Amino acid sequence: MAAINHPLGQRRHGIPIPASGGGRVGFGLAGAIILAAVGALAPVLSNSLATSRGFDLQASEAQETQLNGQISVLESDVASLTSLQRIERRAREIGLQPIDDPIYVTVSEPGPAPAKLPAEYLPRATASQPAPAPWWKPFVDWLP
Amino acid sequence: MAHYKAQGTRRVWLPAAVFGLFALAICGRLVQLQVFEHGNYAKQAEQELLGDDVIYARRGSILDRNGGVLATSVDTWDVYVNPRAWKDDAVALKASQDLAPFLKADPLEIRATVREAGQADARVMHDLSYDKGIELIKKGIPGVVTLANTSRVNPEGDVGASIVGFTGTDNTGRAGIEGAYNEALQGTAGRAVYERDTTGDPIPYGQHRTIEPKPGEDLVLTIDRYLQQLAEQRLAAAIKEHRAKGGSIIVMDPATGEILALATSPSLKFSTLQDDLSRNDPDALAILRNRAVTDLYEPGSVMKIVTAAAAIDAGVVGPDTTYVDTGEVYIENVRLTNWDYSTYGLQSMTGVLENSINTGAVFMQQKLGTKLFQSYLDRFGFGKATGVDLQGEATGIFRRPQDDGYSPVDVATQSFGQSISVTPIQLMQAVAAAINGGNLITPHLVKAHIKADGTRTDVAPQIVSRAISPQTSDTIRMMLGKVVGQDPDGWGRNPSKYTAGGKSGTANVPVWGSYNDETQIASFIGFAPLDDPRILVLVKLDQNADLMTGTQAAGPIFAHFADDALRYLSVKPEKTDAAVSR
Repeated sequence: MAAINHPLGQRRHGIPIPASGGGRVGFGLAGAIILAAVGALAPVLSNSLATSRGFDLQASEAQETQLNGQISVLESDVASLTSLQRIERRAREIGLQPIDDPIYVTVSEPGPAPAKLPAEYLPRATASQPAPAPWWKPFVDWLP
Repeated sequence: MAHYKAQGTRRVWLPAAVFGLFALAICGRLVQLQVFEHGNYAKQAEQELLGDDVIYARRGSILDRNGGVLATSVDTWDVYVNPRAWKDDAVALKASQDLAPFLKADPLEIRATVREAGQADARVMHDLSYDKGIELIKKGIPGVVTLANTSRVNPEGDVGASIVGFTGTDNTGRAGIEGAYNEALQGTAGRAVYERDTTGDPIPYGQHRTIEPKPGEDLVLTIDRYLQQLAEQRLAAAIKEHRAKGGSIIVMDPATGEILALATSPSLKFSTLQDDLSRNDPDALAILRNRAVTDLYEPGSVMKIVTAAAAIDAGVVGPDTTYVDTGEVYIENVRLTNWDYSTYGLQSMTGVLENSINTGAVFMQQKLGTKLFQSYLDRFGFGKATGVDLQGEATGIFRRPQDDGYSPVDVATQSFGQSISVTPIQLMQAVAAAINGGNLITPHLVKAHIKADGTRTDVAPQIVSRAISPQTSDTIRMMLGKVVGQDPDGWGRNPSKYTAGGKSGTANVPVWGSYNDETQIASFIGFAPLDDPRILVLVKLDQNADLMTGTQAAGPIFAHFADDALRYLSVKPEKTDAAVSR
């Protein structure tokens, strides 16, 4: 085993460290280590972020699919609610009767405004909120 | 320092050769795999790595002319169970009990279905509602897999079912508008290709290519759902009252060829469709055809409208041209009589229509001659399909001189609606041409296409040709007004609120080459208002057991229907004194 010829076997040289300015070297080394660490962590963080975003994306796509499904169900509900049978049933419920012989009235004036939807079908009224005061208003009020 | 060169011995060369050959074989195999078979293996790897899903396009809706929905699609779920996940009895018991309320089924039955499926995934529910499916997914029952699907719903129930048609389990149209316009409604399926992980889920930020599906078009029909419902109700009542085997009420705008309502009986009904299809009975399956376009019949005296229009247009007679009816006419020694075996004496051509005199129709046909008369039949579209946008349209037949077995009696009887077979829709087309100014127009059911982006393309009325002159058409309309005017009080065949024109027909059904008085088709075709017709209505009752004539059975149905339909269409009444002006 001793016959192995080690080309650097006779003298070992350490890393040459300049004798003076040791503090600067220390900072440089630390900077390099930090840089290397950041360099090593960056892909990990990037991958982690990408994976996280990917799951968010999948969740958003699933939500989109779900919302589209709900839209189709709502459209179907609207179609059912506007069917002839349902309109007739509802008309009878609120006391309307089919007419046998309508009376036609010819008028020369413009007709009335279109009938409004019954209140139950209108969006619920929300209490009107006063407009927020501008940000500078308190300062003006504070002035004598 | 002395260097010794190694001597090649068998102990060295032999292993070296073996290793060398082995290395060569590996290299060769690598070249084979990576160069020559690269494509094949790359494809296999891609198949292993990539998921590939078909994204079904949303099927378009079918709307009536005012936007009422007749058919639309909703998202649903098909529910499957993976039998491997239910191998353990305890798991299967718990899972089936959790699943049962969603499917409204017995847990035992669910487990039996899964067992019967063997190794394959068992479908335990088709078209589970969307909301229920979401709840089921959230519940996370072991082994339960939900796959998105769509289902067709018909908010108007059975109204217009025979026109709308239906789709199969593969969402392909099978009958009616669903079948005829399947390509437009179905759209184009998309495709998603993505890298997947070991569980089959897409890898986030993996390779992902999507070909978006192209949604199907919405179709706006010419049908008015209210008039359709009215026609179906009136037809059902008339069939019951007159004990008929079936019938049709067709309503058309004679100017545009738009079909406003098309009721036939027997016909397809969504409420009984599953039962009808599951029965292996030809009579039950016959409901799949729309009889207004597929079934032929002899129109009877309604045909005199066409004969009169042809004769007047050719200038061989006028409305006041007279002839003497003797109650019979002989053609090649064959005696042809009037429908009621009466003799009417001196009659004008208007009188021929008013009294529905067969000999008068033969008189007009003979004035025209065989060739000219049959050329008018061609002009009115008989003997060829109208081109209406429903599947399985029959062309109709009438015998010509060059046909085998032709006799001059054939052309004479064609003048009053025998020896000629037509579809109801063909008759509508011909009579529309007679009263709309002379234009032969293609009857149609689709008014517009609406693409997914909202672009609407209206279907323009298609005029095929001119059958007669506008002047002849005006004359015919007035003559037909006099036919209806014989019933001054209204509702015999005359609407009580509107002026109208029309003609009845009572045709015996030919059975094995002869006519049987016990089986007849009673019909009435009419239009209103007289000067500017908004609707053309055909009422046809098949084999009415009470043997009432077309005037008696079908005429009043027309009169009532015309009053109600025109009132609905906001046409101002012409006969009422109730209109108040101020």
